[in-house]
Amino acid sequence: MSYYDVDSILTDSEKLPCTFELEVPGLGVLEGNPGENIKAGTQLDLPLWLGEMLSIGARLGTSRLVTLDIPSALSERVLNALKADPRTIDLRSLAPHFYSLSERVLELFEEEEMVDVLLNTFAKRAAEIADHAHNPKGAMGQGVDFLRGLDEMERQLFRVAHEGAKEVRVWAGEAKKRP
Amino acid sequence: MYGELGNKLVQHAKRTQSLAHLPPYQTELVRAVAREVRDLDRHVAHLLNSFSAEGFNPSADPATACALLVDHLSMRRNKRCLLAYHRVRTAKLEELCWTGVDVLEQQLPAEEGGDAPGPTSMSSAQAVGQHSSLSPEEEEYFRQYSDMLAAYKGQWTDVDLTGSLEPPRDLFIDVRVLKDAGEIQTEYGAINLTKNSQLYVRQGDVERLIAQGFLERLS
Amino acid sequence: MAFPLPRGITPPEISFLAEMEMVSILPRQRLEGLELLGGPIEPLLPPRRATLPLWLALLLKRQRRANILPPSWLHPESLSLILDIETQHGDSKGAFSPPPPLPNQPSAQEHYQKRPVAIPHYTPDGNRYFPSSPFLPQNVAVDQGPVGEAPRLPFHWLEVGTMLLEAASDDLVDPDQTRRLLKELREVRSSKMRSGVDVLDSAAVGGNVVSLTGVGAMEIGEGRGFISGVVDGLRRIGASKEQARREQMAGEMGSGGYGATQDDDDDDDMEF
Repeated sequence: MSYYDVDSILTDSEKLPCTFELEVPGLGVLEGNPGENIKAGTQLDLPLWLGEMLSIGARLGTSRLVTLDIPSALSERVLNALKADPRTIDLRSLAPHFYSLSERVLELFEEEEMVDVLLNTFAKRAAEIADHAHNPKGAMGQGVDFLRGLDEMERQLFRVAHEGAKEVRVWAGEAKKRP
Repeated sequence: MYGELGNKLVQHAKRTQSLAHLPPYQTELVRAVAREVRDLDRHVAHLLNSFSAEGFNPSADPATACALLVDHLSMRRNKRCLLAYHRVRTAKLEELCWTGVDVLEQQLPAEEGGDAPGPTSMSSAQAVGQHSSLSPEEEEYFRQYSDMLAAYKGQWTDVDLTGSLEPPRDLFIDVRVLKDAGEIQTEYGAINLTKNSQLYVRQGDVERLIAQGFLERLS
Repeated sequence: MAFPLPRGITPPEISFLAEMEMVSILPRQRLEGLELLGGPIEPLLPPRRATLPLWLALLLKRQRRANILPPSWLHPESLSLILDIETQHGDSKGAFSPPPPLPNQPSAQEHYQKRPVAIPHYTPDGNRYFPSSPFLPQNVAVDQGPVGEAPRLPFHWLEVGTMLLEAASDDLVDPDQTRRLLKELREVRSSKMRSGVDVLDSAAVGGNVVSLTGVGAMEIGEGRGFISGVVDGLRRIGASKEQARREQMAGEMGSGGYGATQDDDDDDDMEF
């Protein structure tokens, strides 16, 4: 994770449910009400770059500013669906950087079961991705839906797998070099 | 919400990464993000002003501390977005330098199309085509980077640092001349490149000319 | 980034390295010996076979100055035998056919008499060493195949096979059949590589090892991006679990020594 890494910056903008523990004057701008106050107990979806730092006080046991919750992309309902069949879920609609978001959430919360479900999901889907990437004609039929639902990390995986297979085909003279 | 404009900028950067060319510089967006940072800074100054006498004690006033933290984080976030956006673009410029694409020349696509641009087509070209996709700073960066690369390359006369990285299958290849290129000097003497002629030449001698479109490689 | 190539090495680069493989030729003309950077080339005297690097053999072949003697594995019979091993093998499903044994590591179950053994070389200081691939004679022709020995695919099988089919198909036994078998082998093995991500799963988090024994250079090159991407993804997602495991281990080490703990974890975990 580098400072300049575009994907890591975009992951940082994925949102987390936060609850304010105190009234803050003038912070209504976060809610879309500039000039207003934010009352204690207000629930807001804040990006990781903001929510994570505001919650640090809470984790250190000093004065709490906000408490965090697990985002809906990683809710119980989603995890159950992933347990049932990882291949049919549209991860992209849950969060474009689904796995990077999970990585960050797992740093904040101890969720042993979530790790196992996600590892299994990633491995199962990776095998599927490899098969699609290897098909020189590109995706067809239900594969299109699956590929559309890939998160950013998976897309990257699809791209390298596809490139790798294609480069070898070009070398073997079975495919043309890219136009 | 703070940081949203910065996010837009990074999404632009993300798109830029998968493009072959460099999309137009987001002057307005960059300015807007910079403006947001200045506004935030003013807000911080305003909040702290009332504490100038005795100094600010965060634990005595957690609500103000929270507001200050939000301001600070938002500024830091915007800075990161701005830097990342510009870094993606400079990386692209460097890449274009290495592949030998002259971005500055490409800025004038209208001149290539019509040989005798009339006054009407001129004005439309100015409206659409003439608008540079680089910021003035980026143009300067490109120019200086090109100069630096040329100076670096110039140290070696028999190795072309920007040449093809693909190991050759054969040292000699068949080529067809697409455009008259005059006479070139090689280790084996001079070759005259006249249009439509076919030649069997050393790959290293003509790589540059193939890249520039004077020759075409025959398989 | 200015550097345009992906990480790892590209197929043309792998193929270039494969051209250093030694092959057997039958010269059609006399040629004086050459002092090359890669070592001296013996003089070519027509009825006598010679061993040359593939790139030179291909050059002489194109100039019709030599015929290439195909290596024994590049024979329809050998290839279909290997294909059988790849497709059957009930117990070790998903494993690749074994590679040729290294010269200084003779295989335990078999003794070869007629196999081309690498001749020990000597460094300028006089130390003896055995060359490793690409300086192993895995692609030279042998007169009679070693008795009872299953043919093995060498490290550069796909590259050498493809190049010989391209430039010297008239020197091969039944080139069409050979081409078909090579393609089939490639497909069977490539799908094995892809289904191997299940193994990667346990390997990346459990501190185990993925065996790529028998996988060729081009196949590794093809799969490098994908495999390292999967392993990296698994590592990132499983980072918190790994962290917890390490902390637990450190705790055990601190309180009463590692051996004292009656944990289910076996010693393999220590490797990580």
